[in-house]
Amino acid sequence: MIRRYMLVTALVMATAGAAGAADKKVVRLWQTETEPQTLAILNQTAAAYEKTHPDVSIKVEGLAWGDLERKLTAALAAGAPPDAAHGQPITCVSFAAKGLLRPVDDLADSIPRDDLVDAFRNLCRWDGKTYGVGHSPASSVFVYRKDLLAKKGLKVPRTWDDLVQVADALREVKDGQVVRYGLTMTGQPLFINIGVGELLKTNGGRLFDAEGRPTLTEKPVIELLDFYKKLNRVLPPGWTGHAYLDTFANLANGKAAMLYQAYGRGVGYIEKYAPKEIADPEHFAVADKVIGPSGKTPAAQLDCEPWMVFKDAKGANEAVDFLKFFFKDENYIPYLHSVPIHLLSIKKSTSRSPKYADNAMIGKWRSWIDMQEKYFRNDWIKPVLVTDWDDMKKPYLLEVMGSGILVDMVLDSVKGMPSAEAAAKAQKRVEELLASAGHLKK
Amino acid sequence: MLWILPALVLIGSLILYPVGYAIWLSFLDKHSFFPAERWVGLGNYLKIAWDVEFWDSLWKSVVYAAATTGLQLVLGVAAALVLHATFRGRTVIRALVLFPYMIPTIVAVIVWRWLLNETYGVVDHLLLRVGLVREPIVWLGVDHMMTSLIAVSVWQFTPFVIVSVLARLQTIPLELYEAARVDGAAPWARFRHITLPQLRAVLFIVVLLRSIWMFTKFDTVWLWGEGAGAGREIRTLPIYAYMRTFTYYQAGFGAALAVIMFLLLMAATLVYFRLYWREEEAVA
Repeated sequence: MIRRYMLVTALVMATAGAAGAADKKVVRLWQTETEPQTLAILNQTAAAYEKTHPDVSIKVEGLAWGDLERKLTAALAAGAPPDAAHGQPITCVSFAAKGLLRPVDDLADSIPRDDLVDAFRNLCRWDGKTYGVGHSPASSVFVYRKDLLAKKGLKVPRTWDDLVQVADALREVKDGQVVRYGLTMTGQPLFINIGVGELLKTNGGRLFDAEGRPTLTEKPVIELLDFYKKLNRVLPPGWTGHAYLDTFANLANGKAAMLYQAYGRGVGYIEKYAPKEIADPEHFAVADKVIGPSGKTPAAQLDCEPWMVFKDAKGANEAVDFLKFFFKDENYIPYLHSVPIHLLSIKKSTSRSPKYADNAMIGKWRSWIDMQEKYFRNDWIKPVLVTDWDDMKKPYLLEVMGSGILVDMVLDSVKGMPSAEAAAKAQKRVEELLASAGHLKK
Repeated sequence: MLWILPALVLIGSLILYPVGYAIWLSFLDKHSFFPAERWVGLGNYLKIAWDVEFWDSLWKSVVYAAATTGLQLVLGVAAALVLHATFRGRTVIRALVLFPYMIPTIVAVIVWRWLLNETYGVVDHLLLRVGLVREPIVWLGVDHMMTSLIAVSVWQFTPFVIVSVLARLQTIPLELYEAARVDGAAPWARFRHITLPQLRAVLFIVVLLRSIWMFTKFDTVWLWGEGAGAGREIRTLPIYAYMRTFTYYQAGFGAALAVIMFLLLMAATLVYFRLYWREEEAVA
């Protein structure tokens, strides 16, 4: 009898539990920070939020950065997007222009306007509304082995030509084999797109004119492609097949002396894989990005995915509420500390907070953070494929990036096609792409 | 009629509807995730006819399918003949040979990408060590991307040919070989006049299936080129159709590419069947 009673009780409890779980509103968030410690912090934040919101269940999923756009668009095509997600700023604008996003002015307003780092106020705006709030800004950085340059009496490169010459001089050969390359860069399509935008900016160039017509046949682009040809001679022969993480590995284990497209995240790889006695900023130093022959100032890529909330998401309001909770310092600082040199604060007050500064990695690698903040202050950073903030009004940059046309242009050139011909071919393809989508008159 | 209804429902919902929908989609200008669509008739097909990227990806598909199918066939038949012979440890070797076909594609691709990496991969290390090359071969760079993909695909899919051919070899009556031996036929003559004709039917199916599967192969090709700019060197037709649909967001254009792929395969299959039947009639 007792056994039967216990069984019935267990069944009733299980049914009630299942019903309770079913009643909860599940809010799915896709984000690009996949390092285990960051995911753990996000899950802790989600658990803390759920304690005060027992009717909501927050599910945080990590997506590889390079896969983000493809997975988001595939989810949209299948009619099953998450409630909120990270996206490139150009993705956010593209989605906002297509009416897929819910405005997040309420989320943006939860951070006092003068507390927001200046460069990120207009990260994703469309028709006067805010559609994205960046989770954390970072700038791409140029890293070089200070000790190796000093050993060979080389100066830190300032121009494109300097970079090629220094990379060539840093190459080391032993028994007929290259044991160290002067420079490493990734050939991952996303990063080639980033490189094109960033290098073009350092060369005073642009990808589109004021009317939105591509400008790939202009002199700065041709010079850029000529530069890629020169880089191809000093980079490891397989660079077009090297992933983003391969280049960090090359730098950390001494296979390369300089890394052009590095990020603060790389510090973690240096600490982990470089010999202990050299794993510090005295050996792995950062410098300004090199300037092209037609350019005047350095430029870097802004790595700052805005949080976007999907308009038709059932948990849209809850997602915004959770994100307000996420940006509170007690939750935000542990998140930033999970990858301390890469995840910088979008809020000035947090950057100044003693609690934020109380981190050994931040103390040790301060020069890397200072370099990124210098680019923020000088407005030398722009999102991928954006050479001017006005480009953010063009809702088709996502399609241009996804098409791989700019990647093909660079690789055509690297493979030997004359730069002007590669540029003209890409120009025609981008024009066709934009015309077919109704963004450009034929 | 009622008895075949379940089969008809299954065929209709799993084959006819998707194919029909893809054909319908190919006549539309449709964004990949917006409901708005516009009838363009043969517009997508006309665009494809003038699209340089299409012809380039078609050529890459043909090269990939022909090279991998041919190599699988030659190596598969050779390996099956070896495994048909009697030797110690044959059962273990037969089981091991199946291994590449059984492991998931993602695992095979990751492992081979590590092995072929020119900075830390074992393959280049060994080639350098034995002095076969003076500089590492960049297997995953623009120049060798297709070659390395073909090599890995052949490694992965040859066991299918081995198993199919081996199964048929085991059913060939031994008396045929004994009679040939008595008549003084050399090994090559026995292979040419007994083994090959006996394998005709199975080879027909193997070539048909493998060439269709390699022409439409997506996962191995996609994973091999993913995350690398050099991936464009292996942008075959299925990859291009995917890109048009999910990175250009042109679902209609992508569907038209898929329909063309389907029609090309249908045409090739019909020609292949015709040739086979003509051959059969001649033999008969």
